[in-house]
Amino acid sequence: MTVFHFFNCAILTFGPHAVYYSATPLSEYDTIGTSVKAFIVYFGTTLFKLFCLATFLNVPENDSVDLYQELLKAIIGFTDIAGIYFVLTQLTHRNISQNHKFQAVGLGWAFADSALHRLLPLWVGARGLEFTWEHILQGLEANANLVLNLSLASLGSLMWIRKNKPRTLIPIIYLCAGILATMPSITSYLRRGLGWHLTKVIGFELCSSLTMAFISWQLFSVCQKPTN
Amino acid sequence: MAGRSSGGGGDTMLQSINSILALMLILVACVELCDAATVVDVYRLIQYDLSGAPFGSRLSGLNHHAGVYPFAPGADLSRTVVLMPVRELNFTFLQDYIVNKKQLGGLLLLLPPRSSEKTDDDVTIRGTLIELERLLIHSTIPYPVYFAFEDDKFDDILSDIRRSDNNGQPASATTGGYKLVISTPQPKKIPSPSITNIQGWLPGFKGDGDTSQLPTIAIVASYDTFGAAPALSVGSDGNGSGVVALLEIARLFSRLYSNPKTQGRYNLLFGLTSGGPYNYNGTMKWLKSFDQRIRETIDHAICLNNVGSLNNELWIHVSKPPENAYIKQVFEGMSEVARELKIAFSIKQKKINISNPRVAWEHEQFSRSRVTAFTLSELSSAPEFLESTGGLNDIRTSVDEISVTKTVKLVAESLARHIYGQGKNTQIFSDDGSLAVNSFYIKLWLDLLSRTPRVAPYLSKKDSLLLALKKELSDHTSEVIIQHDVLDGMFTFYDSMTAKLNIHQVASVTFDLILLLAVGSYLFILYCFLVITTRGLDDLIGIFKKPPSRKIKPN
Repeated sequence: MTVFHFFNCAILTFGPHAVYYSATPLSEYDTIGTSVKAFIVYFGTTLFKLFCLATFLNVPENDSVDLYQELLKAIIGFTDIAGIYFVLTQLTHRNISQNHKFQAVGLGWAFADSALHRLLPLWVGARGLEFTWEHILQGLEANANLVLNLSLASLGSLMWIRKNKPRTLIPIIYLCAGILATMPSITSYLRRGLGWHLTKVIGFELCSSLTMAFISWQLFSVCQKPTN
Repeated sequence: MAGRSSGGGGDTMLQSINSILALMLILVACVELCDAATVVDVYRLIQYDLSGAPFGSRLSGLNHHAGVYPFAPGADLSRTVVLMPVRELNFTFLQDYIVNKKQLGGLLLLLPPRSSEKTDDDVTIRGTLIELERLLIHSTIPYPVYFAFEDDKFDDILSDIRRSDNNGQPASATTGGYKLVISTPQPKKIPSPSITNIQGWLPGFKGDGDTSQLPTIAIVASYDTFGAAPALSVGSDGNGSGVVALLEIARLFSRLYSNPKTQGRYNLLFGLTSGGPYNYNGTMKWLKSFDQRIRETIDHAICLNNVGSLNNELWIHVSKPPENAYIKQVFEGMSEVARELKIAFSIKQKKINISNPRVAWEHEQFSRSRVTAFTLSELSSAPEFLESTGGLNDIRTSVDEISVTKTVKLVAESLARHIYGQGKNTQIFSDDGSLAVNSFYIKLWLDLLSRTPRVAPYLSKKDSLLLALKKELSDHTSEVIIQHDVLDGMFTFYDSMTAKLNIHQVASVTFDLILLLAVGSYLFILYCFLVITTRGLDDLIGIFKKPPSRKIKPN
């Protein structure tokens, strides 16, 4: 039974990535290379983040939230933005459109996040006899994360690649990107600072990521228009 | 410089990767450790063979779902662990299953927690426990039977299972619930179970002769226990109380005998014997180990058995007729002291049937070796085989120090009058004198023995309890000897007394199927949604209309 449960959780966690890749035109334009690059850069970024966290952060002695430490964590969290920036602008890709590029990067990034952060706990935890809701919730969280990373990548491509965009929208784009980048800190604050239950946190993550995805989609389509 | 620094960076990178790998390995290694949600100590029902016939629980491994009485009539329980609190034990159900040899997945009996306070329902629970133990010990049970103590976790589980039962879903593999897992190796026979006797002498006043020519009075108590759960068989009353009384008597007389003026003209022999539940096998071995001449010097032997909860009533059990002059003398001496202590004291004879292997009282072993002996006990009649030997009900709350104190006074006082030839109304061990019975000493030893299970085959030769008893006896007496011997043939014991029970809350197969369906349809809807939004509805229809002939590729 337990291998069955593991299988369920695994397809909930990793299925959406595969579905996204095969359902959208990404598969037709063979953008897997870009996703792999994003994966590798994510790995490097995560290592760098680990170093920073290990160097600058104290191990908390209790569960209380220290504002300074949280701020530092959020700043280190911004390394992700740098990583995405690096993949989007610095790496050369095969000649694919901007439209597909950001999707491929976002997908690769989200998949790397799921694979590195969730695969091992899933393997260790979901095969045990003991049943918990935790791994199903983690799968849902991975879905929210996918949406979040796609939005972030789309905003990133708006910020750094698209040159002629409406001037009035620029602060909004930056604001949204800022919100997306601080989202991990916000959720961790909700979880530990306010002591929210895991279900509540994940509900919040799903809602917020969908909202942000809608906003970034609108921004993207507005920016698309003048060029057409 | 740049190259060197980047090289250093590479090193740290390598180190960090190594540490991450190590971390992963540790995580993988933890799989088994963090698997279980709750781990509980459980105590297995004893498993033994009596001259080849199997008794007790014959298995130890457990891996089944938990169920709680009442069950639907005719339900198949062969894959269910029946959880049963002793407080609400349904004895007829249990008897029906055990006597008729119906198969269960396992049985987990929840004992009320052993508190130091006496509670009101103690008496009813004691009765239930005695009955339960009698049933379990004398049956062959082909599945694992365990005991555990009630706690909050078990209360939660019980109420959880009852709730799902009320909703009409008995717990099984398809409806989830709790899974109880005990993984222990198959129980093994204990090779040649040993018994250990401890003895000590208080030599009498010799004058110019040899002490071995002085008459000897022996005071004997059997210290080991037997119960349904060997790891819980502490036997506070049977026979922890007798052991404590013996130690205190030894302590009192060692003070008298340390002064040559008060050293009596009797040798005192103290014996802590093993094998009590098994027809006093240890006592027999111990007596046989004595030289014939020494055995003949034994004037009489006093055996102490179950003296921890007197109810102001004490019996002296003999095998010779009470009219026997010698016995009459001893009985009258003792009943005189008993009157002073306001204890109802009476004599009871039980003749020995040599052809019957059953030895119900310790003094019968002495009588069989032609040594005058009697047993002091609160029990009015001889206990049945393997009963009153420290079962589940026999715990600290069932004995009191006052009873032991009174017994000590009775024995010590009458013994002293016998040794020193004093008449009535001489109080040697009066409460305010320097030779007063020490109730703290009695309490401490009762506490210690009530924490220590002492089933002889499971005690090693170097067990700390044996060493403690030897140490205590050698503080008061001289020539302390530990005698090891092998328990005689009939019995075979099996190990694994304790185990760790893992309790898992598990999901059902139906739940997993529903989850699979939900996830599958979610992914399907997501797929359709994405195709429609990015490529249009026509494409989606196109995907499903693809001719299957594409798969067959022409060679």
